[in-house]
Amino acid sequence: MKIVRKIINWARIKSPWILHFNSGACNACDIEIVAALTPLYDVERFGVQLKGTPRHADVLVCSGPVTKQIQDRLKRIYDQMPEPKFVVAVGACACGGGVFKGCYNVRGGIDEVIPVSAYIPGCPAGPKAIIDGVVKLLASLEETKKPSVPDAKRQDKTEDGAGTDKETNSGDAP
Amino acid sequence: MSCEEDIRQNTIRQFGFLEDSFKVVRPRRLSAEVTRDRFSEVFDFLVHQEKFNILCTITGIDEGSDLGFIYHLAREGGITLNLKTRAPKSDPAIRTITAVFPGAEIYEREIVDLFGAQVQGLRKGSRYPLTDDWPADEYPLRKDWKDK
Repeated sequence: MKIVRKIINWARIKSPWILHFNSGACNACDIEIVAALTPLYDVERFGVQLKGTPRHADVLVCSGPVTKQIQDRLKRIYDQMPEPKFVVAVGACACGGGVFKGCYNVRGGIDEVIPVSAYIPGCPAGPKAIIDGVVKLLASLEETKKPSVPDAKRQDKTEDGAGTDKETNSGDAP
Repeated sequence: MSCEEDIRQNTIRQFGFLEDSFKVVRPRRLSAEVTRDRFSEVFDFLVHQEKFNILCTITGIDEGSDLGFIYHLAREGGITLNLKTRAPKSDPAIRTITAVFPGAEIYEREIVDLFGAQVQGLRKGSRYPLTDDWPADEYPLRKDWKDK
């Protein structure tokens, strides 16, 4: 079973499909994310592909502060993604609210609503910084095999820590 | 006589009380101020007779005890007119202009939500642009509003 998990993890790292979501950004970070997806920067060499639905995505790339109107929608999109899922906050506003912090219509950074795995600061964050952040997120999955996301951590624990020998055997049998 | 001066003279001929407040600020820029109870007729005259058939936007202002509303109108020739009216905060009621400009509904809803004005004749609808769970008596663009 461990080999199967290794293969799944390898496949996951080699093909992180992303979903881009603007939660209230000024559009600058969105342009930079789209620029990072162009052949000039060629993120497909890492297996990164932009997907049109959260149900096909592994990584949610969020830009902008979370407005009070969008927070329920952001939560709903996050809930639609299959486990394990990762969130990348792109730009100063996504990291902590930025210049919009304290506005009557703004809740704050992405991590006020959903757990975030990687923060990419910058106003706007450039394509190179975005690629660096995504690659570092993938590298962290590879090295530790225990991603920094709370959800993913819990999953590892149930498979490694809590599982007894008997259960492992029964899993291996078929 | 210039086109701006024509518009001014025509309007003053119709509404004498506008003589002081109707000004040609500079070429192609006009401004006028009218009380709330005479607003509708002046507005209708400017839109239908003087052909100000474009509404750019409506601006709301917190002026202490009053709320100010500026209707930015435009017409061909690049001429714009800022028509201002006022309503006291204790009775912040104005009439809707959606009969003339249906697209003004979103501007009026913004004034209702952000300044707490009452727009008479505006059709019922959901809150815009604030969230549905926003407290009923808080208007974030008023100067005395504080975030809790």
